[in-house]
Amino acid sequence: MSDSKGMDVTSNNDIIVVSGLPRSGTSLMMQMLQNGGVEVVTDQVRTADPDNPLGYLEYEAVKEIGKDASWLPQTRGKAFKMISLLIYHLPPTERYRILFMERDPEEVLRSQEAMLRRLKRSAAPHAEMLESYRIHLEHLDAWLKTRSDMTVLRVEYKNLVEQPGVQSKRISDFLGLSLDVDRMSSAVDPALYRNRNQSMT
Amino acid sequence: MSKVTIEPNLYESAKKAAELAGYSSVDEFVAHCLESEIRRLKVESAESQVADQLRGLGYLN
Repeated sequence: MSDSKGMDVTSNNDIIVVSGLPRSGTSLMMQMLQNGGVEVVTDQVRTADPDNPLGYLEYEAVKEIGKDASWLPQTRGKAFKMISLLIYHLPPTERYRILFMERDPEEVLRSQEAMLRRLKRSAAPHAEMLESYRIHLEHLDAWLKTRSDMTVLRVEYKNLVEQPGVQSKRISDFLGLSLDVDRMSSAVDPALYRNRNQSMT
Repeated sequence: MSKVTIEPNLYESAKKAAELAGYSSVDEFVAHCLESEIRRLKVESAESQVADQLRGLGYLN
């Protein structure tokens, strides 16, 4: 595990989890946190590509958390990215602050389908997949309410792109950290996301 | 209303469980059990499809 060095802004041992569906803005959120001074846990195994030109900022061990969560205590006070389906595997032995990215499911799915085409992999029928995501998110939402070790802040992707300053402050307050809000905001490149949306239509 | 046939022993168990849990009737208890199980299966199937999609995208092993 290599952690990007951040400023000394961590005031607690809660683990920061950036989550949501893939293509909902989780990488952008990780870049913002990193810019703001949070140590992000990443191994750089999955590098930048046309789908994520600024990199994924992922940590491979996250994918295996169902089998091995021994690395988790080392991430206290730091942030890592975890897709929504894996949140169920987070053990109640830690405290988590979850930044949950939300984005129009149509946009998310179209972006995923474009990514699957580039990877030359098959996609499930669009309507079926949308319904499955709806059921999953509804179930996860109810499940999260049963976990007293998890505090969740939902962040709309659209708001993040349109009002990065406001959202950065909101995120900093939620985490209880003195993050560099201006530097966080600078991670948002509206042009990049506008282009992405146009290329998806 | 449709009717479902179950074994007498299972009916007796259901009757006792319904009384213990405070259901007004065995019918209400059985309907609730079925609804819960159908919901569980629906979530299981949906999340299995989500997992397949995420695997394809490289977000799951």
